[in-house]
Amino acid sequence: MSKIKHMIGKSIEKPDARDKVTGQALYPGDINLPGQAYMKVLFAERPHAIIQDIDISKAVKLPGVIAVLTAKDVPVNEYGLIMNDQPVLCGPGSKKPFAERVRFIGDQVALIIAESESLTEQAKKMINVEYQDLPVISDAREAKNDHGKLVHPDRESNVFCHYQIRKGDLEKGLHEADVIIEGEYITPVQEHAFLQPEAGIAYIDEEDRVTIMVAGQWTHEDQEQIAHSLDLPPDKIRVIYPAIGGAFGGREDMSVQIDLALAAWHLMKMGIHKPVKTIWSREESIIGHHKRHPYFVKTRWGATHEGKITAAEVELVTDGGAYAYTSTKVMGNATLMCTGPYEIPNVKVDSYAVYTNNIPNGAFRGFGGPQGAFVAECQVNKLAEAINMDPVEIRMRNLLREGSLLSVDTPMPKGVTIDKVVHKCAEKAGWKNTDKGWQAPAISKKNTDIIKHGIGFACSYKNVGFSFGAPESCTAKVELHGKDTIEHAILYHSGADVGQGAHTIFIQFMAELLNLPLEKIHLIASDTARTGQSGSASASRITFMAGNSIVGAVNNALKKWINNERPAIAEYEFRPPKTTPFDPQTGKCQPNFSYGYVAQVVDLEVDTQTGKIKLDKVICVDDVGKAVNPLLVRGQIEGATVQAQGYALMENFIQKEGRTYTPTLSTYLIPTILDIPEQINSIILEEADPIGPLGARGMGEMPFLPFTPAVVAAVHAATGIWFDEFPLTPERVISKLHEKG
Amino acid sequence: MNNAHPGLPEFDYIKPATLAEASQFLVQHENESRPFMGGTDIIVRMRDGFWKDKYLVEVKHLEGMTSIHFDPVKGLTIGAATSMNNVAAHPDIQRYYPLLAEAANSVASYQLRNRATVVGNICNASPAGDTTGASMVLGGVLSVHGAGGLRTEPLTTFFLGPGKTVLKPGDIVTAITFPIPPKGWAGKYIKLGRNALSDLSIVGVTVLGYPDAATKSGYRFHIVLASVAPVPFVAAAAEAVLAEKTISDDVLDAAAAAAMDGCKPIDDVRSSARYRKLMVRNLTRKALDEVWTKIK
Ligand SMILES: Cc1cc2nc3c(=O)[nH]c(=O)nc-3n(C[C@H](O)[C@H](O)[C@H](O)COP(=O)(O)OP(=O)(O)OC[C@H]3O[C@@H](n4cnc5c(N)ncnc54)[C@H](O)[C@@H]3O)c2cc1C
Repeated sequence: MSKIKHMIGKSIEKPDARDKVTGQALYPGDINLPGQAYMKVLFAERPHAIIQDIDISKAVKLPGVIAVLTAKDVPVNEYGLIMNDQPVLCGPGSKKPFAERVRFIGDQVALIIAESESLTEQAKKMINVEYQDLPVISDAREAKNDHGKLVHPDRESNVFCHYQIRKGDLEKGLHEADVIIEGEYITPVQEHAFLQPEAGIAYIDEEDRVTIMVAGQWTHEDQEQIAHSLDLPPDKIRVIYPAIGGAFGGREDMSVQIDLALAAWHLMKMGIHKPVKTIWSREESIIGHHKRHPYFVKTRWGATHEGKITAAEVELVTDGGAYAYTSTKVMGNATLMCTGPYEIPNVKVDSYAVYTNNIPNGAFRGFGGPQGAFVAECQVNKLAEAINMDPVEIRMRNLLREGSLLSVDTPMPKGVTIDKVVHKCAEKAGWKNTDKGWQAPAISKKNTDIIKHGIGFACSYKNVGFSFGAPESCTAKVELHGKDTIEHAILYHSGADVGQGAHTIFIQFMAELLNLPLEKIHLIASDTARTGQSGSASASRITFMAGNSIVGAVNNALKKWINNERPAIAEYEFRPPKTTPFDPQTGKCQPNFSYGYVAQVVDLEVDTQTGKIKLDKVICVDDVGKAVNPLLVRGQIEGATVQAQGYALMENFIQKEGRTYTPTLSTYLIPTILDIPEQINSIILEEADPIGPLGARGMGEMPFLPFTPAVVAAVHAATGIWFDEFPLTPERVISKLHEKG
Repeated sequence: MNNAHPGLPEFDYIKPATLAEASQFLVQHENESRPFMGGTDIIVRMRDGFWKDKYLVEVKHLEGMTSIHFDPVKGLTIGAATSMNNVAAHPDIQRYYPLLAEAANSVASYQLRNRATVVGNICNASPAGDTTGASMVLGGVLSVHGAGGLRTEPLTTFFLGPGKTVLKPGDIVTAITFPIPPKGWAGKYIKLGRNALSDLSIVGVTVLGYPDAATKSGYRFHIVLASVAPVPFVAAAAEAVLAEKTISDDVLDAAAAAAMDGCKPIDDVRSSARYRKLMVRNLTRKALDEVWTKIK
């Protein structure tokens, strides 16, 4: 076959872009079915209490109300992505121990199903819940050691996960050091603020499956959790994703999924065949789904005058909030990444995930990486300052390289390129590699009495795919149609396009591998009744995992095609090299099978009279292995940078005593088009991953990681102040400047 | 979750033929109706359940409501319903009242300014209103059509509290007028928000200065602060410092400090009171500096 066109490496337009821009694309909230009923959730709106009684008698009598569901209506009243520690509905009457407790303001108490949305509102107000309030546990550091006040009384402690790493001899390493930098860091909560709040519609399909159309990140995981709560076999549940309005990890856990399925199933049992629709308001979305974990960190690192890092000790305490969500996995990453992309001979890390009555925390772009990177990069930048060495030079002397041993005492998977990424980024930002080592450029912009300039450097690595022994695989099915030649091909794949362009990438892989024009590829996506297990659109894994599955399925189908099967149909399940969990004593493990690498330089100015920080320029060098679609890669770099900007500078999620003071987008601000950096210089490196599909690595999260520490380093360069806590709101900056005098 | 946005209630949209009819209707439906202009405050307040009016009385179409007229002797008249974008883009306003254009341009986004009006901003009487300060320091006077006919209301005595003004049921502001600004004047508006688009001011500082032989210093300054008090706050103590002492860097410092000491802002999610006070000082100082450089 001769090549029509190369489809890999081309910035083709997303097939759904025009529909999305013109408002034609249907998101879950846009889908209406004839005769649909509406559903509303009654949220607890109190952080910690026991529900004594729920009186729904008035609400159910309201004409037009079809049903009001409470805990006793849930067959198996529990769910969770990692552990089933969360009731579907809180209240008395279910078998789940302590399900009558509410543990955060977004706990769900009742579902109201009625003929119209306004009736659900009205009926909701007629439900009478009797609460007995309990003391609120809101500080993870206190909750860690307090065994008297428990969020989950069936456990002995609020600590629900602990990891430790013991590599080398910490004391010896500290002894060898010429300087030791101690630090205490606090990272903030962050809200995903995806454009489309949670919504969906549920119905019973023609094969009697409880079917939900919803926006998520992992169809089969949604299916499994719904099946568990409804006590049905998974194949009785069908999950379909239409257009998804952003996710960023915020749709990894359940929100409306189980509610919708429960509602449609319950109506069916009542003999009512009605689809059920729900749309959350922004405020419901903000209290109803998890956030990025805050971390409380104590650390000390040692280095020699020659810039060799000899030891790192880190203690991480993270607030899991009311339920585990993905905390254990997020903390796994943070535990690994808090010592940075450096080979350090002596490491001791202890990490603790703690229950509180705050909104649960869970998956969010970077997945523990940003918190870890913040600690590691700030420590390295401070060490560099302490030994009077350039921040790039100290990195070059410690970076992980091919064959390097991680803190968990196993070698890096092949294809380590962090040194190339750092080199390129430094060069682009004006660093010079002299015979005295790397030297930072002089700052050319003039400082005034008020405006101070600074640049900062940071680099990071982030795993691609599931870690620490989590089962990892991805399935694709391919059909090849035609007679003598392949006329068109169909790909069946569950991989979620959350807006990042995954489906565009799938089609590009297919077109490239089959040498077909794009319009001859049909994609049937994200429907558990038709598409196989793909794993989630998270962990920067979907290009890598789906790409490999598509390569395998196409190869298998082509073999059948050559054997004259028409259509030629083949499936393939890709399984990457195995990972293993932390050893309980030493932490030794094979954490990941692939990584992406990134470095950033941030150039900014600080207004010392208002504390405002203006970003002039961001340089981001990202090794993506192979840029399947360079435009989408740039979109991810720019998007991650701006989201990280919100995290670093602006987004200030305020919770006190388990209550949220920023439940709207006018109180919780994210960057606007006028706030973003003047310039984001995205530089794509393509050092093939040996096991990536056509060399591709994952990249969606990586550019988020180094941003905050690079900002902090730049602010330090501008003002002489280290910020160990963020966001760097103008107010925080001013108060530190005043402390300094 | 208590719905923060219960949604727009039902209301009737009234389009009277004349001002008299409009005033009459508003009097007859006291407490359940209000004049409707850009609606950028009204619709939000109604959607959020704070205002429960049964009638919105359209006044934008009434005569003179959208005209802008400049007279070299009498000054400027802006029809009440003129959008902020039209105010900011008007050549006479850019030339003779640039401070007003600057303030209008600081409000939210271009899209919003297509609907929002300066007079609506003033009548809404939010202490955070971005165009109020400029309107005050430029000597703005409202033309009001009420049940008893036409009258004028100077802005100096217009505001009574957050959302409260001297307007009575039936009152419709038809225009805002400004005298010819003093000779040799310059002005500055500095808005500090948490983001660059659409946040309300944490603090807003309006300064206008001009040579004035009647003061000891030979100059007079007007300073109005947004978001630091229940009503737009005239920094009288700072104004007095600048009128009495020969102007120098130290005197500008002292005036900025007087502005800070004179106001008593509150804590909210956007900022602490402490930060607001500091910003009053720093931004007043900055605005004074810019104005002083131009007029000295
Ligand atoms: C997204 C968004 C962002 C915003 N950002 C800003 C900002 O940055 N800065 C800022 O200052 N404001 C801001 N606002 C508030 C609002 O846009 C302004 O206050 C605007 O100037 C109001 O003008 P309007 O014509 O829309 O008034 P309307 O909403 O029509 O009216 C406001 C009030 O004034 C009364 N009123 C209006 N006209 C008359 C009249 N002729 N006679 C008597 N009473 C009258 C109305 O009855 C009502 O009570 C924002 C609003 C939104 C929705």
